[in-house]
Amino acid sequence: MKNIRGKARLLGDEVNTDIHCSSKYFSGKDNAYVAQHAFEQLVPDFVARFKPGDVIIAGRNFGINSSREQAVHVMRLMGVAAIVAASFGRQFFRNCINNGLPVVECELAAIAEGDEIEIDLTGGRIAVPARGLVREVPPLPAEVQAILAAGGLIPFLKAHPDWKINETADTRR
Amino acid sequence: MGSTIAEKILGAHAGSRPVRAGDVVVAAVDFAMLHDARAANALKMVEKLGAARLPFAPRTALVLDHYSPPPNPEAANIHRAMRAFADDHGAVLYDVGDGICHQVLPEGGHLTCGDLVVGTDTHSTTYGAFNALGTGVEGTDLSAVMMTGKLWFRVPETIRVELKGRLQPGVWAKDLTLRMLGRLGAEGANYRAIEYQGPAVAAMEIDDRMTLANHAAELGAKAALLEADEKTFAWLEARGAREPSPVRADPDASYRERIEMDVTELVPQVARNHQIDDVVGVPEVKNQRIDYALIGTCTNGRLDDLRQAVAVLKGKRIAKGVRMIVTPASRQVWLAAAREGLIEALTAAGASVEAAGCGTCVNITGHLIPGDGDVVISSANRNFKGRLGNPRSEIWIGSAATVAASALTGHITDPRTVEGGDWRRISKAA
Ligand code: SF4
Repeated sequence: MKNIRGKARLLGDEVNTDIHCSSKYFSGKDNAYVAQHAFEQLVPDFVARFKPGDVIIAGRNFGINSSREQAVHVMRLMGVAAIVAASFGRQFFRNCINNGLPVVECELAAIAEGDEIEIDLTGGRIAVPARGLVREVPPLPAEVQAILAAGGLIPFLKAHPDWKINETADTRR
Repeated sequence: MGSTIAEKILGAHAGSRPVRAGDVVVAAVDFAMLHDARAANALKMVEKLGAARLPFAPRTALVLDHYSPPPNPEAANIHRAMRAFADDHGAVLYDVGDGICHQVLPEGGHLTCGDLVVGTDTHSTTYGAFNALGTGVEGTDLSAVMMTGKLWFRVPETIRVELKGRLQPGVWAKDLTLRMLGRLGAEGANYRAIEYQGPAVAAMEIDDRMTLANHAAELGAKAALLEADEKTFAWLEARGAREPSPVRADPDASYRERIEMDVTELVPQVARNHQIDDVVGVPEVKNQRIDYALIGTCTNGRLDDLRQAVAVLKGKRIAKGVRMIVTPASRQVWLAAAREGLIEALTAAGASVEAAGCGTCVNITGHLIPGDGDVVISSANRNFKGRLGNPRSEIWIGSAATVAASALTGHITDPRTVEGGDWRRISKAA
């Protein structure tokens, strides 16, 4: 997979994305509307400053209690390139992978809003050059890389209905 | 190095190879469940997948339990779509009134020891009561399973909980899990599997074991796993389940954490308003008025729970002004309760007994909404603000026995203080 490069957008600990990123809070609204208002309760100008390709950096339990896939659909719509958090809600982690949104478990306390961040999912490396910060993370397993590279579980299965992974085609891109 | 139950079950389903916590595996699933509250998304994903056939649909149960009965045309239309889908693809259908997903799956004989089961619901951990790895997934996952029979899993680390001693009369698995929640905190076991074992678990009847495994979801657990014994085998066999392949952990398995707890001294517990891990012993709660008493849900709406309530309420009358609502977990539970005279005893005591379903758990059907300032005590699993549709009401959580005792007096009450409560009869007939 190609490296991901983007600007850091910070959110805190225990962010429940069901509340901030789905119709649970914006009742009756569609994903496009929710994407215009995501996280505004936490950071009022979050969406105004967010550019497609930016990376969300969060603390503990990001996506906790959020089992709905809608939250991930909204973040894809916003153009979130990846999420780095100290830990994730379990189902949220699955939903991200299944919908082609890269997630990395890593604590990044020393990073500031707007810092450039570089993520190498294949090699398992995160770098924030401005802070001289380099972190090793366990590289994502081949299966997960293949699902992300395909853009999610559904496109992956369309191409590989037997779950067989062709390493060179899927993970070394 | 030995393996945990989760490692063994996932390994056995991933081509019989050794796997370790942290590995990602593609594993064959034995049975799947989709309930109505997640069906819209899942059926959309199935459509997106565009598979010519869904060979695994006959091993998937579609359960109409959350919108039971449907409160609006949208919910009714989801039900119509689910019935049509089940017809088209040969999926198993449990219709309105048949019961809650986590009750009808084991009752229907759909799972057995050693199985890997997925459901579109966090409380899919319940199946661990039968030594099956049950875990929650979303619609995309489920569509993948229906098409391929397989899914990717991250092998969880395991927390081993050894429960020593024996629960005293009037104290239940509910009290035990509430105590665990108080100790580990909500989400205290996020990502992890929990292995529950020890003499206190062996002494439990199946209904209580299901409570233990079910409530692990509030701890954030991916799965809860109990060992199988004669009680498990007899229960499963009576329901026509497949031949069990029981799985035990190796003595030298590697655990994230080991917890030991002696349950002998445990007293009834309640989780205070809005916070499932703000847990205190019922004897410490003084003069807490209640307005609503609810017994039901996939956590505590089973036969033994209704027996607990009747042990407290038989021949008595709930306090004036208290509204008590009982929702048996399934049609089978309802019928068994009727045969034992429990429905009659509860109704005579002043409770309303409703049809089986998720009814008393969450404000979905819209038929149970507390008023401003109302205090609810419930045997459910979640009490966050507004769970029952009114953020200006309070929800406390306790065992069915505690709920019934509180209904009797009008304030939160230790069931062991109720005169004439005969706990020994409960669970003997199960
Ligand atoms: S009873 Fe409650 S927790 Fe259980 S499946 Fe139904 S809504 Fe969910």
